[in-house]
Amino acid sequence: MSPDVLYRESFAVEGNDFEHGGNVATAIKATLRELGIASGAIRRLSIANFEAEMNVIMYARRAEFVFTITPELISVVVADEGPGIPDIDWAMQEGHSTATPEMRERGFGAGLGLPNIRKNSDEFAIESIVGSGTTLRYAVRLDQGA
Amino acid sequence: MTEAARSIIVDITRCTGCVACSKACPTKAIRVRDNLAQVKHELCIDCGECARVCPHEAARSVTTPPSDLGKFKVTVAIPSITLYAQFGKDVHPGQVLKALERIGFDRAYDLSWMCELVAGATDAFLAESRGPWPAISVTCPAITRMVQLRYPDLIPHLVPVESARELAAKMLRRKLAAELSVEPHEIGLFFITPCVAIMHSILSPVGLEQSYFDGAISIAELYGPLLHAIKEAPEDDLRTHEVSPQGLLWAMSGGEIAGLRASSTLTIRGVEDVQHVFDRIESGTLRSVDFIEAYICPDGCISGGLTVEGRYRAARTIQHLSRQLAGQRPVKEETLRTLLRQNFFDFEKEIEARPVRPLASSLREAIALRHQRDALLERLPGKNCAACGAPNCETFAEDILRGESVVGDCVFIRIEQLERAVREQPAAPLTILPPRGSSA
Repeated sequence: MSPDVLYRESFAVEGNDFEHGGNVATAIKATLRELGIASGAIRRLSIANFEAEMNVIMYARRAEFVFTITPELISVVVADEGPGIPDIDWAMQEGHSTATPEMRERGFGAGLGLPNIRKNSDEFAIESIVGSGTTLRYAVRLDQGA
Repeated sequence: MTEAARSIIVDITRCTGCVACSKACPTKAIRVRDNLAQVKHELCIDCGECARVCPHEAARSVTTPPSDLGKFKVTVAIPSITLYAQFGKDVHPGQVLKALERIGFDRAYDLSWMCELVAGATDAFLAESRGPWPAISVTCPAITRMVQLRYPDLIPHLVPVESARELAAKMLRRKLAAELSVEPHEIGLFFITPCVAIMHSILSPVGLEQSYFDGAISIAELYGPLLHAIKEAPEDDLRTHEVSPQGLLWAMSGGEIAGLRASSTLTIRGVEDVQHVFDRIESGTLRSVDFIEAYICPDGCISGGLTVEGRYRAARTIQHLSRQLAGQRPVKEETLRTLLRQNFFDFEKEIEARPVRPLASSLREAIALRHQRDALLERLPGKNCAACGAPNCETFAEDILRGESVVGDCVFIRIEQLERAVREQPAAPLTILPPRGSSA
């Protein structure tokens, strides 16, 4: 752990676990609120977390969410075991989705997930290996107001 | 209004120190200490859940004393629609209004037409709003206060259309003052309320500087006298023909959205469901919904804590009355348009967040406290038995960190401490109990 890491917590998310979808985003939000983080930062990070969590549930086998707070940033790393994304540029465009009709029926798969995460974070990176998994890193700066 | 204005009090002669209220409280505002429920007022949203679950009727609502009626030249009752649901399906709204006048109010006025107007104003707002979505109704004042306290990010979601009851009072005060040639303040306007949450909104309103009502009297308190008055003079009153069948439905959950043009709508009832859905709105996942009506009570106003008729029968009565009057439309489109132009429906005051005092003053300190809390939670039994006085182990841990409780208040930990003391001093087994809070 680097010296300026103030807080770290990790969560496991299982693929296809729709029943608990959103629990990790909600738990992180509760922690951030308890720590007195500005509500604007909490709101943006929560939206990104929810999208990332649902992506894991819809597409991956499992993933680990690690969230870290430093004096400047709240960062999240989501490393999943899953199919990977063959064309990241394509997936990063709004409206592009590989969701099945069943997923769309449940209100997902509008192709807004990854673009929405990028939109709601100040730092964003994605790496993916087809057949192995995807690692998503995003962060929200702490200095923004409400 | 002063911060100290409270609508629920604990009757110390009835409170047994059981933990029913503490466990039911949605904001974890109640602690049981020295066998007495104590409310942390900075966390209380005056929703009335404690009064609903108290087996000893020790959590009681404070309503307006009847002697207050004597302070006014003219007294006016505006009953919650729920009052119409209390006397069975054969008693019409007009009869109920007349009975209110027989038991001592100079005038009684129907609220349903204003509900219909507010539905129109809500539709107009939704049609022009650019979000954030979903919009959330402010009809249930406990919901509005929960948003202020627990969901401040959702304040922009609240529909800025004042509640039908306040708007009816505002309109009537003006109208009656002119009609009866009295000063507006000489008119005493009283809401006949199904719940303590509305009582509190009159004491301490949120979107208004001051309520347009002078007080509220509970349905339960007036039930007996009204029942007699209806029996003595059962004839129907012409005012039944001015009642809005659509507005009548506002007494129950689902009634508000039933009259809206917006089609993507939800009704949420009860504390737990409301919190679940509000969490989802906060994470931005319900944006496809236009409008939400939410009630802290399990079935809307007919399930309010100050009612007499059971909610299932009450729902039957409301549906019956509404169906019977189907086709009546007391509200004219022109009236709605005129009032909209006058900004009649608007809030008079911005709704502000009600932040809770944070445990720590800096991020580093907050994180240190969080680690301490997690360590405490490891040590606590996790039974959430509430015997310590806090509703669950997590809240207990926070109370310890705030210096309001000590670890030894946990009965499981005390037993451990006692057992250890006995082991270490086998000569004097169980003769002297260490004092409360001692770490033996």
